[in-house]
Amino acid sequence: MFARIKSELTFWRVLTAIIFVTGIYATYVRFFVGFRASTNLSDQMPWGLWVGLGTLCGIGLSAAGFGISAAVYLLNMERYRPILRASILISFLGYMTVCVGYLYEIGLPWRFWHPIVMWNHRSVLFDVCICIMTYTTVLTFEFAPAIIEKLPWRGFRDVVLRVHHRVLIGVVMAGVLLSSMHQSYLGGLYLIAQGKVHPLWYSQYMHAIFYLSAIPAGLALTVMAIYLCMRSLNVRVDFTILADCGRMIQMLLIVFVFFKALDLTANQAWGYAFQPTPEAGYFWLEMLLFAVIPIAMLSQQHVRSNPLRLYWACAVVVAGFMVTRLNVSINSLQTAMGTHYVPKWTELASSVLVVAAAVIAFRYAVIYLDILPKLPATPKAFTKWMGNGGLPAQA
Amino acid sequence: MATRKAMLIDIKRCIGCMGCETACKQLHGFSPDPEPTLSDTAFTVIETRGDKFVRKVCMHCDDPACASACPVGAISKSPAGPVVYDADKCIGCRYCMLACPYSVPRYQWAKLAPFVKKCDLCAERVKLGGQPACTEACPAQASVFGNRDELIAEAWQRIRSDSSYVPHIYGLEEAGGGSVFFVSDVPFEKLGFKAAPTGNRPVPSLTTAALGDSPKVVIMGGSILSALYWVTQRRREVALAEAAEQSSGRNTKDRRS
Repeated sequence: MFARIKSELTFWRVLTAIIFVTGIYATYVRFFVGFRASTNLSDQMPWGLWVGLGTLCGIGLSAAGFGISAAVYLLNMERYRPILRASILISFLGYMTVCVGYLYEIGLPWRFWHPIVMWNHRSVLFDVCICIMTYTTVLTFEFAPAIIEKLPWRGFRDVVLRVHHRVLIGVVMAGVLLSSMHQSYLGGLYLIAQGKVHPLWYSQYMHAIFYLSAIPAGLALTVMAIYLCMRSLNVRVDFTILADCGRMIQMLLIVFVFFKALDLTANQAWGYAFQPTPEAGYFWLEMLLFAVIPIAMLSQQHVRSNPLRLYWACAVVVAGFMVTRLNVSINSLQTAMGTHYVPKWTELASSVLVVAAAVIAFRYAVIYLDILPKLPATPKAFTKWMGNGGLPAQA
Repeated sequence: MATRKAMLIDIKRCIGCMGCETACKQLHGFSPDPEPTLSDTAFTVIETRGDKFVRKVCMHCDDPACASACPVGAISKSPAGPVVYDADKCIGCRYCMLACPYSVPRYQWAKLAPFVKKCDLCAERVKLGGQPACTEACPAQASVFGNRDELIAEAWQRIRSDSSYVPHIYGLEEAGGGSVFFVSDVPFEKLGFKAAPTGNRPVPSLTTAALGDSPKVVIMGGSILSALYWVTQRRREVALAEAAEQSSGRNTKDRRS
């Protein structure tokens, strides 16, 4: 008995259990005790980790869906079709985490529907809300065939899929436009806070910088997820596709760095980067993790052509991206607001809970639906309901 | 249209009695203890700068950043002057707090159904022809309430009649102007008044350029995407047709031989 329990206790299962227990407790504190008990937010720092990590990183890292779907459907780059569904699924789940996170963030979550009927077209946040709601619908639509094709009713299935196919291109185009808009408007949110956002990040083209940085980050997360699927689940993708993604990420990062440098020059903000301030430190950390290291790594053939090395290069990109977003949303504001914000553990625990739930959903979708090309022989264990306990499987 | 009202705060005349703060707290039913800065139970406070007393209060901007930022339009500038908050619309996103160049709005962090709190220039009392509790309580004519035009004239009158005043009315043009003005005998920057980041332009102008681009992005982006799709589809069709032609050509040749 004891030995059996011990054999079931893998590292990942224990970690997942910890994430769920702490996350559910944090959720309870947030919704039944309040902000004061569950966050370190204050009048000086009204937006903290939930916005910085949950929303800004969540949306940014979900940017691959629109990029890959544009490449495949609109530019006819059929080469990327094998990873199309995976990238759409990642985006879909990413947006789901943001929609759930939105309920944590707003003080009156039962009024989540207000932006749908109460419009303020001058508000960037209103545009962001509407774009995210619409684009989540678009992603649901783009992802729906993966579930519909598994339905047992053949006639219904055929009709729905035929209609779906007819309107797909229009929906994909709408998705690309919506994504482009709200990916950049997330940066646009901070335009109004001139004088609060540190000059190393504030610029009148912040929204463009946000847009340029989101696409490589979203691609990097997709590469990471697909690599992990190939390692732990019963799927295979032509690795050269991922290597090409690595190449693309590198080029997109170079474009980002170019425009970021141009922007700093135009704002005459380079001086701030060489002052002995915490902001300068955060800035160079961002540049190191999101630009210098990944560009250097991905420029080498032996990194791009080796799955594990490519995975780590992409991990650095994702980490660097999170630093850029947290820099804008938290670090850049602290000096001007005269405050020092360190998130409470409950803020982190609830964010991690939502992400962990999305990761588990992703895993089961890859197992039970046709997300990535499966290896021919599917072991029965994988198709059994809750086959492997809901945890990242053994290699 | 209602006459535009305003409030004038004279830092030279302020004696720091905290009458305004107490009256405000009394009106809203808060505990009367003075607080160091604005909070969800202190919509105006007196801050001491050297030997001067500086009142902190919402500036009631003419084109308020908070109102432009609010996604559900819960904050609006009323014609009479006060920037008012509609608690029934608010979702609690707190973007107004980030947007306000003066960092005035406060949040009820301790409550389970928290709302944004800030001075509303006693809009209800003003509507009934009264004046805000704070100006009513001021014994030194340091905070006065009245018609906007008359108050501006009064402010210039005070500046002109006493050479110790700084010849500037803070709040008249800063960030597009508002309904609360300050006059002082000490330069404003020494009293902790920040120059508005946008100078005399309203703060919402910072986002209009970016937001104004969206129709362009939709139209241009839509056309470009459609064009790209058309080109790639056409290419594909041509490639398919060519392939079909080649294979059929090969077939006829095969048959002939």
